[in-house]
Amino acid sequence: MVFEPKILGFLCNWCSYAGADLAGVSRIQYPTNVRVIRVMCSGRVDPVFIAEAFMNGIDGVLVLGCHLGDCHYISGNYEAELKMKMLGKVLSMINFADRVRLDWVSAAEGNRFAEIVTEFTEHIRKLGPSPIKNDKLKKQILDNLSATKFALCDSRLRALVARQRELTTEGNVYGNIIPIEEFEEILDNAIENEFIRHKILEKIKNEGKSVPEIAKEIKIEPHKVLQHIVTLRARGLVDVDQINEEIPTFISIKEV
Amino acid sequence: MSNEDIRIGVFICHCGTNIGGVLDITELIEYTKTLPNVAYSAGNLYTCSEVGLSNIRENIKEHNLNRVIVASCSPRTHEPLFRSTCQEAGLNPYLFEMVNIRDQDSWVHMKEPQKGTEKAKDLIRMSVYKASLLEPLEKMQVSVIPSAAVIGGGIAGMNAALTLANQSFKVSLIEKDSELGGLIRHLHKTYPTNEDASNILETRNLAESHKEIDVYKSATIEKIEGYVGNYKIVILQEKKMIEIEVGAIIVATGARVLSPEGYYNYNGKTIISQLELEGLLKENSVNAKNIAMIQCVGCRNEERRYCSNICCMTALKNAILIKEQNPDANITIIFRDIQAQGVTYEEYYRRAREMGIIFIKYLPDKPPIIKEDHLEVYNEFMNQVIGIPHDLVVLSMPLIANEDSERLAKMLKVPLEENNFFLEAHVKLRPVDFATDGVFVCGSAHWPADISESISQSNAAASRASTILSKEMLEVEGSTAEVNPDLCIGCEACIKICPYSAISKDEETDTAVVNKVVCKGCGVCGASCPQNAIIIHHFTSDQIIAEIVTYGGGD
Amino acid sequence: MSKISKNVMVIGGGIAGIQASLDLAERGIKVDLIEKNACIGGRMAQLDKTFPTNDCSICILAPKLAECFRHPNITLHTLSEVKNLSGQQGDFKVKIFKKARYVKEDECINCGQCIEKCPMRVEDEFDMKLRKRRAIYIDYVQGVPSIMTIDRENCLFFTKNACRICEKVCEREAIDFDQEDEEIELNVGSIIVATGYDIFNPKSLNSLGYGRYPNVVTALEFERLISASGPLGGHLTRPSDKNEPKKLAFINCVGSRDIKNNPYCSSCCCMYTTKEAMIAYEHNNEIETSIFYIDLRAAGKGFREYIERGENKYAISYIKGKVAKILEDEQRNPIIVYEDINTSQVKQFKFDLVILATTMVPKKDAVTLAKILGIKTNDFNFFKANSYYPQISSKEGIFLCGACREPMDIPSSVVDASGAAAKAAEAIMRG
Ligand SMILES: Cc1cc2nc3c(=O)[nH]c(=O)nc-3n(C[C@H](O)[C@H](O)[C@H](O)COP(=O)(O)OP(=O)(O)OC[C@H]3O[C@@H](n4cnc5c(N)ncnc54)[C@H](O)[C@@H]3O)c2cc1C
Ligand code: SF4
Ligand code: SF4
Ligand code: SF4
Ligand code: SF4
Ligand code: FES
Repeated sequence: MVFEPKILGFLCNWCSYAGADLAGVSRIQYPTNVRVIRVMCSGRVDPVFIAEAFMNGIDGVLVLGCHLGDCHYISGNYEAELKMKMLGKVLSMINFADRVRLDWVSAAEGNRFAEIVTEFTEHIRKLGPSPIKNDKLKKQILDNLSATKFALCDSRLRALVARQRELTTEGNVYGNIIPIEEFEEILDNAIENEFIRHKILEKIKNEGKSVPEIAKEIKIEPHKVLQHIVTLRARGLVDVDQINEEIPTFISIKEV
Repeated sequence: MSNEDIRIGVFICHCGTNIGGVLDITELIEYTKTLPNVAYSAGNLYTCSEVGLSNIRENIKEHNLNRVIVASCSPRTHEPLFRSTCQEAGLNPYLFEMVNIRDQDSWVHMKEPQKGTEKAKDLIRMSVYKASLLEPLEKMQVSVIPSAAVIGGGIAGMNAALTLANQSFKVSLIEKDSELGGLIRHLHKTYPTNEDASNILETRNLAESHKEIDVYKSATIEKIEGYVGNYKIVILQEKKMIEIEVGAIIVATGARVLSPEGYYNYNGKTIISQLELEGLLKENSVNAKNIAMIQCVGCRNEERRYCSNICCMTALKNAILIKEQNPDANITIIFRDIQAQGVTYEEYYRRAREMGIIFIKYLPDKPPIIKEDHLEVYNEFMNQVIGIPHDLVVLSMPLIANEDSERLAKMLKVPLEENNFFLEAHVKLRPVDFATDGVFVCGSAHWPADISESISQSNAAASRASTILSKEMLEVEGSTAEVNPDLCIGCEACIKICPYSAISKDEETDTAVVNKVVCKGCGVCGASCPQNAIIIHHFTSDQIIAEIVTYGGGD
Repeated sequence: MSKISKNVMVIGGGIAGIQASLDLAERGIKVDLIEKNACIGGRMAQLDKTFPTNDCSICILAPKLAECFRHPNITLHTLSEVKNLSGQQGDFKVKIFKKARYVKEDECINCGQCIEKCPMRVEDEFDMKLRKRRAIYIDYVQGVPSIMTIDRENCLFFTKNACRICEKVCEREAIDFDQEDEEIELNVGSIIVATGYDIFNPKSLNSLGYGRYPNVVTALEFERLISASGPLGGHLTRPSDKNEPKKLAFINCVGSRDIKNNPYCSSCCCMYTTKEAMIAYEHNNEIETSIFYIDLRAAGKGFREYIERGENKYAISYIKGKVAKILEDEQRNPIIVYEDINTSQVKQFKFDLVILATTMVPKKDAVTLAKILGIKTNDFNFFKANSYYPQISSKEGIFLCGACREPMDIPSSVVDASGAAAKAAEAIMRG
């Protein structure tokens, strides 16, 4: 049987949803694979929604908004762009970035809407089903996705993205403007850190483990693991479990 | 409602054969009946017809439905209709959901009816799960103070005030100078009729004597608080603080003329600005015979890329006036492009040429050079440098933004564009509105504008303001954002991100609060809040995730 | 505040008329909006994107159309024209002639089944006659009211007493050949005229070859050619051979700033030719454009920067000079003959497609309408406006806005319209 990708589309009410309607009025035919969730603005789409979609076996996600500059709410699609960029970084760590696409469709572009859906469906068809559907990989992929979700829910990371425009154009509280390259680097680090921290938490969910043990399991240098443990302790997520022969083991103390 | 059972009614539309001819409606109805909380499911030939609508109303009553879903065409066209139908049957309109199985299904999958039907099943299922989580919402009502403040008493401000006052709205007209009138006070005559500028200034008497207008002169704005329909403004006048309350604000603070100091050997005597020429003309003391006017001085360059809109017509006007008085005068206008748009202005330009005024185009990289008694300019047409004798050089300086625009913009929470003119909500569709409801702009505060443009805009701003002031109550959308103060940590990320400045900080609790009157429900803040503290009503994360999980989880 | 009892009549449902109506309706005043065509929307609906933001025209227009249709204070009279006016400010009596639509407004659901089956093909005015529509039609797919109309001049039933196919296929039984033209009487307190403009027909300028050379088109035609919802679906090809054009030329001021035709300036050609060149470039980055102009008029907010952007990022060259004539070679490529201002030499340049920025002219029936309303026109038949209070016409109680009083762009028309709304409101509040 041919693989029929399950595709989810977030469409903003004012342009892309109207464009999709126009494709209908013009009877332009396109693949049946996409299911649409209408939101008022592409800026409403929380990256967490997309992690959630992948965790639930969806093969590809389209986020469509008004063309840049045309957002009904002035700047919503610019925010969407920043969020999707960050999401792309997170997803590329687990090889899912290819399964999301952000694009712009105006209310006059019925054709374009149909083209994007057709192309994207073919693209996902080529990529094949989400690896989560593979029983052997399922556990690992779910772990990865939940680490992703953890990172996307993390308030520090979210704060960074929410303030990106402010920090890179208006400056921080001291009036210092952060150059965009520098910002990207900060963001990259934050993403990687949150992702790893979640993996650590996963490993010490049920039993205490020492730093070298964790390091081995998640294949990361021990001193780095230690740094993360310190951070997680400060956040009240991890505590010392036992001390065996002067080597402490750590355990997760909060459901995340 | 939470304790009550959820009873969803699903109405599936055939739309004649538009949907029914492609999708299997019977199958959809049967399928829908298997979904949780669905108390009723049936087809309708045309749901939007009166028969279809009364069918919805009857079934709401008969089956005690507390959620309604219509699977039919597009919510963009039909949601308002179905919502009010629900309301007529006593159901909160926000307990209604729509599924698009025509424009985005039967019409685009005409050759794949089976797959189309499968798609419709998914869409209906997603909607059923979302519907279970819907909450009733109320449209809020806020009262409106039926008066306006106009900031700036130039021609735009005075006329805006008059237009509103003539419709019986109270207006406070606030001017920082000691008299009304603005730039026009310094002008000699006005184009395109070449009548005395004092004619237009008649407006001043009308404004000062109008019973609905309170004029505050030598007054500055110290503080602005509030939101659409309910603003508080603190005015400082002669060391007194005066507080006024208004429903709308019009910004008409105009612009100022760039100082000619430092351009083309400006000396204020033989090399003067166009504004100074106006003064000389007023006193009838122009004795020069050879006059050269240079356009675009200090603009359309690296520093100020824009064209100031009014300088070409002003130069034409003064050239014509001089030529009329002294037909022997030699007047040359050295220009880049003559901005004389439209019917009357183009005719004015033609008149100037017919009178013998000379026009020479110059290139920005080869500007004219002023010598002792003549001026040299390279002209493309002739491919040579032309010498023009002069005993008076007049520099056309652009209008630039006022120094205090930034201060005012901050108080109003409205943006400025790169040249510090006020930035409207949308160039084409809301040219005199700000994104912030209840605040409007007109005249040169928005962009260099001449008298007729300023008047036209001031009428427009008055019209827009009256759409608010004429209402006793403003009704606001129920689907807005709301901050959960228990989760909010006061980081202010949302405050910065909201395009409408709808969020502010409650200083006491140190948490964010959304002003529902101002919020447009775009949801951007909700997707951004680091703490997930913001609920976007009617598009809540729970509702959206329910749709996602339902689609993903089903097969 | 005194209570408002009088309606305002707005004539013309383009962007200006729509904006004026919405402002008044929001203001609590009842509006009768009179539109000659079957749908409101006017010229703006025909445009692909609009300067200076290049946002999609219909995207920003459609919500306003819907609002106009739904607003409880607005009564839409489509297919209608003003036939007679009497009375004065505060108490005008108007006679409206309303053409039969032959489709029941409450029944039609805009499903388009009738269109599919109608055998009669007619040139489509909305698409500048670049494609055919049927005798039963809607002006454009997003048109409002979103219902069909039968065009009596072309329908086979009216012309040959045959067919009636649409009647059979319409499942809603919405077709009604028995409908008759109506005359409606309105009593209004003030009037806003917003009837817009027509486009100069360049056929009379023999030297430019429009009408003879397939690859010489007008800017409004080009607007449809590049529109995503136009006859080419947004994939630009040239009329003669369906090849993709690479070299475009625009000629500004066609029929304007020209004593022999229209001496006035059409106000927006400098901007819209730049826009059209930008959109073409966005479709195909190999496109190079030359714009021939007299003065580049770009004084509006952000306009000058827009022109600069065109020059720097969209491969547009601006050439100052007057075009003498257009010739054509065997491949039907238009050749522009113009005077080079640098050398005063006459030069020739071959292009793939030439677009004429034809000027806005008054509506054909402007003079007739002016007579009916008793307002003055200017030398060129635009409605005459006060020099400093541009929304004020020569007659008390009648106000002007948009391109019917002078060529103007959308931002100005919207400002003008809101302004006219304020004046019309003031007039009925006074008396
Ligand atoms: C040399 C020259 C010649 C011109 N000739 C003509 C002509 O012939 N015809 C024509 O149509 N146009 C002409 N213009 C343009 C014309 O002057 C302007 O178009 C018009 O005056 C703009 O009106 P305005 O109300 O927007 O601004 P302004 O007239 O500048 O009025 C703004 C008012 O607001 C006040 N104000 C500013 N900031 C504040 C604040 N924060 N609080 C309170 N009050 C404030 C100012 O003091 C001023 O009174 C000319 C301009 C120049 C420079
Ligand atoms: S509700 Fe929509 S789908 Fe149903 S008949 Fe009406 S137009 Fe057709
Ligand atoms: S972004 Fe969230 S946490 Fe921060 S202030 Fe706003 S509501 Fe509070
Ligand atoms: S939903 Fe949009 S408008 Fe409302 S507060 Fe949030 S960001 Fe502002
Ligand atoms: S009756 Fe007229 S409108 Fe109807 S299908 Fe025939 S030609 Fe077309
Ligand atoms: S409304 Fe379409 S992207 Fe914001």
